[in-house]
Amino acid sequence: MDAQAPCSGIGLRSQHHAEFLERRPALGWVEVHSENFFARGGVQRDVLAAVRAHYPLSLHGVGLSIGSTDPLNRSHLAQLARLERDFNPILVSEHLAWGSVDGRYMNDLLPLPYTAEALRHTAARVGVVQDALGRQILIENVSSYLEFKDSEMAEWEFLAALAAESGCAILFDVNNLHVNAINHGFDPSVYLNSIPPHAVREIHLAGHGVERLGTRKLLIDTHAAPVCSAVWELYGAALERFGPVRTLIEWDADLPALDVLIAEAKKIEQALQVRRADAA
Amino acid sequence: MPTLRKLQRRFAAALFADADESVSEDVRADGSDARARLGIYRKQLHAAFARTLALEFPVIERLVGGEYFQRLGRDFQAVHPSRAGDLHHIGAPFGAFLKQRFGGGPYDYLADVAELEWALQECMVAPEAPVFDLHALQSVDPARYADLHFEFHPACRLVSSRYPTLDIWRANQAGPAANEIIDLASGETRVLVQRCAQVVDFHVLSVPEFALLEKIVQDFCLGAAFEAAQKNDAPFDLGATLRRCVALNAVTAARVSTTR
Repeated sequence: MDAQAPCSGIGLRSQHHAEFLERRPALGWVEVHSENFFARGGVQRDVLAAVRAHYPLSLHGVGLSIGSTDPLNRSHLAQLARLERDFNPILVSEHLAWGSVDGRYMNDLLPLPYTAEALRHTAARVGVVQDALGRQILIENVSSYLEFKDSEMAEWEFLAALAAESGCAILFDVNNLHVNAINHGFDPSVYLNSIPPHAVREIHLAGHGVERLGTRKLLIDTHAAPVCSAVWELYGAALERFGPVRTLIEWDADLPALDVLIAEAKKIEQALQVRRADAA
Repeated sequence: MPTLRKLQRRFAAALFADADESVSEDVRADGSDARARLGIYRKQLHAAFARTLALEFPVIERLVGGEYFQRLGRDFQAVHPSRAGDLHHIGAPFGAFLKQRFGGGPYDYLADVAELEWALQECMVAPEAPVFDLHALQSVDPARYADLHFEFHPACRLVSSRYPTLDIWRANQAGPAANEIIDLASGETRVLVQRCAQVVDFHVLSVPEFALLEKIVQDFCLGAAFEAAQKNDAPFDLGATLRRCVALNAVTAARVSTTR
């Protein structure tokens, strides 16, 4: 299969490594969390080499803390660069988030205030990362459970401006769009229609949970459940706007059998086929 | 409007120190309490840390129980928060933390069990190294053997304890030794932890073997290491120990000191 062709893939987690390599399911590509493969030795790197020998690979980072006001963690970046050199991935992505300050890491994808200052800062940092890696990276929109009073623009305006200013591409997470639309009460179609289609190079789909805060229902991005019907519907709208885009099923907690992920990936493939037929 | 830096510092303070008031005025109130929304992030902060700690120290978790381990993890995180975007490193100071917390008491042994578990973790992710080439020794003048320094394999660790920590570790794994009752006074532990072909093995060492290898790890020359090994009363065969180290691939290279 053409390594660049829009197709479906899965986020590969350690619980599935052995079975995955034994069965080698028919999938277009595989994505892993970069940080899980930073170690210089051990079984993880051997697994990744075996996976890479048979599938196009995407490296998805969760710890670069790109929106933090601390100096960029050069050690983290060097480890990412080494991994990128060693495994020649098709895509390298990170998140529109921060996770550390004053050297203390919260190891979470924390929301930024959508201000001109944060935009300048984040765009500059994305530029540094792209220069260090010698390639364009993708930045993913994250789920959030609060918004800041002083935000000067909407999240979608911030994301589109970040792509324009830094030259990064967008990893568009449709579940995160749905979660934030419910949590913050906006129309997801406004968000979708503000994202430049040419910038979107990857889509994520995942499941979420629900938490009650008093009388209010908040969606939590758990990656521990099947993709819900509302997200599938939004995915259709996203493909309509962006065209066929390489799409991944993400599942991190309460991991089901590998076959469940493969079945979800097949659903993605069907949606992509419909979109490809329409485009033709 | 606070600067981005100020906002991030307030946010971190709110999560780590349960000081919601420092940032709640920055959060938009839209139908639910800002504190409750911050609480979601606080819960995630502790949950991700505790999950990783439990993966790195499953025996400690089993020994103290899941609920207490969660509390221990939270106290540990307060003094030793993650210092990297990669959570895998958080366990490094856990043994020292347990020593401070339980040292001298009835749970003194927990710190040593944690050190054994951390050694195992480190071995699992250490890089490979070349196999020791014995022919390299042929070029060394036998009169300089005492000045030899050996490189220790990066996927090897030496661990010792006054407690039978390896027996405790084994009793908390699935297998024939599972749930065996271990007498804390039943003996000391001196062990070489080693990853080989993606599996971690434990090689029990005698007192002089451990003394020798400890000096080698500290980059002492063979003469000084041999002297340390001989200080013990136990019988010691230097040749046999070195052959065992080479056979186990515990040493990967040798060089002669440039100064005597």
